[in-house]
Amino acid sequence: MPTLKIDPGEYPFYRERLRADGKPEAWTIAELESFASSHPGDPYAGRTAPALAAAVSLQLEATGEPPVWIALNDAELGQWAGAVARMWARWGTARGETIAFFDYGSSPLVLLASSGYVAYLRRGAAERLGLTAICNDGVATMAARMVSIVEAVRPSMLVLRRELVTPFAAALESSATTLANQVRWIALSEVEGAPTRDEADRVSATLGVPVHRILRCDAAFLLAGECPGCGAFHLDRLYRAETLPAHEVAVTARFARSCPALRYNIGTAELLESGCVHEPRAQRVRC
Amino acid sequence: MVAAERLPFYQDRFRAAGFDPARFRTLDDLRAAPISTKSDLLAIQRSTRSHNLGIELEAAAPEATVTLSLSSGTSGTTFITHTKSWRRMQGRSSCRAHWWAGLRPGSALLMSAPAWHSYAAIQPFIAMHFEMPCLVVSGTYLPRFADRVVDAIVRFRPRFVTMFLPMVFSILATARHQGIDGNQLFSGVRTLVVTGAPITPGMRRHLRRLSGVARVAEIAGSSENLLAVDCERAEGLHVVPDTCHAEVIDRATGRAAADMERGSIVHTSIVPAGSVYLRYDGGDAGVINREPCACGLPSPRIKLLGRWEDSFTLGPQVLLPYDVQLAIEEEVPELSGAACVITREGLARGILRVLLAEPEHAAASLLDGARAALSRRFGERVEVAGVPNLPLRFKGVPPILSEQEAAAQL
Repeated sequence: MPTLKIDPGEYPFYRERLRADGKPEAWTIAELESFASSHPGDPYAGRTAPALAAAVSLQLEATGEPPVWIALNDAELGQWAGAVARMWARWGTARGETIAFFDYGSSPLVLLASSGYVAYLRRGAAERLGLTAICNDGVATMAARMVSIVEAVRPSMLVLRRELVTPFAAALESSATTLANQVRWIALSEVEGAPTRDEADRVSATLGVPVHRILRCDAAFLLAGECPGCGAFHLDRLYRAETLPAHEVAVTARFARSCPALRYNIGTAELLESGCVHEPRAQRVRC
Repeated sequence: MVAAERLPFYQDRFRAAGFDPARFRTLDDLRAAPISTKSDLLAIQRSTRSHNLGIELEAAAPEATVTLSLSSGTSGTTFITHTKSWRRMQGRSSCRAHWWAGLRPGSALLMSAPAWHSYAAIQPFIAMHFEMPCLVVSGTYLPRFADRVVDAIVRFRPRFVTMFLPMVFSILATARHQGIDGNQLFSGVRTLVVTGAPITPGMRRHLRRLSGVARVAEIAGSSENLLAVDCERAEGLHVVPDTCHAEVIDRATGRAAADMERGSIVHTSIVPAGSVYLRYDGGDAGVINREPCACGLPSPRIKLLGRWEDSFTLGPQVLLPYDVQLAIEEEVPELSGAACVITREGLARGILRVLLAEPEHAAASLLDGARAALSRRFGERVEVAGVPNLPLRFKGVPPILSEQEAAAQL
């Protein structure tokens, strides 16, 4: 995918961070929030052009005081959904199966699944793969309903919000329901960043299903899935990563033009260039 | 006819009831068809261990692109199939309904339903149909996320806001906590639509007063495709006739209830796609009014009044919490919008015992007034007790709780 030609100087957030080489300094979510606090009139925290007419504005769950928003047009929604579909496909799906989301419907992981979940998305990730989608919300008190979904809908894949693992496991146990022979994989997600591999192993042991981690940074439109082969997060072709000093990695979303995500610092990580047998050309991040 | 030809659930039931679909000519002929309830659907779901109940059209087609939503309740959860053609047909119909409710293009549309809910399946269509930018608030529609909704309203100034009734009070309280009063919060909002609970006339006035919004409208719907909406007259909710047919039947006889006579709402989905509900009794109590409406819309009006499972007997009367709310506000207008609870202990003793959140600056006379008013309406067996506070979610329609449960909420 060609890199977008974006002049960071046109965007107030990046303008403040411009280096001599014309690139903005890598930034963190805390720095985005800080900019938002000092520019309360701009919901997008200086990352959109003045004449923007966003089709969809999404409030970032990982931000507060004030919450920061990102903007997308229909093409960008489609491209982002494509990255999600490719992530699921790497883990294995089959047409006609069902994917269940135990997360808020406002999470990009859910929104991007279906044109029925968000406006202006023509084909969601589930639609691209011929999957049925069901969402139960991300509320722990709805754990019993998660079990109802498992029993009656029999999903083959689950996308599970990290904080729901314990109530979900308890509800499964109390109803003597098992996932082992039914669910092919569980994708474990965090609001910002990724759960640890140790935690994923514990969840896998508890639920009896392979667990793949998701690296999620909504401010940078980043959703990347862990590769069961190499254990690193494979970056879709929509992203470009670079190594920063102090063993950190920055990611640029190459498709985001409405609200550019340039050089987002995902924190301490190791950037691995191509080389995984499962996806030889993919950039990878280990964290 | 589609149901008879292609849906096993209805084939079986039509046969058992002796209903001949070949005789079906008009919607009035539906009255001979058997009524289904959630219990019927749950029984199938339990026996087959599948969410597919034999009421789904097109769900298995390769191009179907299905999403499932949920119909939760005290009896259990069933699943509703939405195909792309269902979303298109129901979406168009819902656009019409939202237009009646006051939606106009030109501002952002706040997505106001969680993704598990049927309403979430049509909001994207509405936004696209009217070419409205779409706002997605993080989290979900629970009071603890009210600050997020406030942020969306303040920053994007939508002109049309739909909200589940309890959330309206939560976001008003959250805004107030931030130093934003209701008028400021909703400045620019021309229509506030509340849904999820029947509102009384007093509650409508209360919401107008709190929000400063000129038009507070109501949409009533169910996951199973019931859809009815206020016109500007606000004298009953017009059934949206291109996708929904509604009847009110007498609970005892099963016959059509007379206009404004309370009965069970039975509705039929006219969308030949996704889950198809024919003469479905979702457990709602209500009335129908077939008289012409001064607004000119020809479809009948209904008013949902609550769920039969929440009804209770007081002397010779079968009442709903809505009746209590209505009586309080009609007799003591100062108490419009006050949160209250009907206690189980009282009902067990054959008494209507109401815990009423005392409004700020309340005089004891208000509570006495409420007691007298309720006694006039419902007889002598009424008690009203003031409590310092009750959760905002109890505003609108009083829940029936034990005193212990109510105390735990304080």
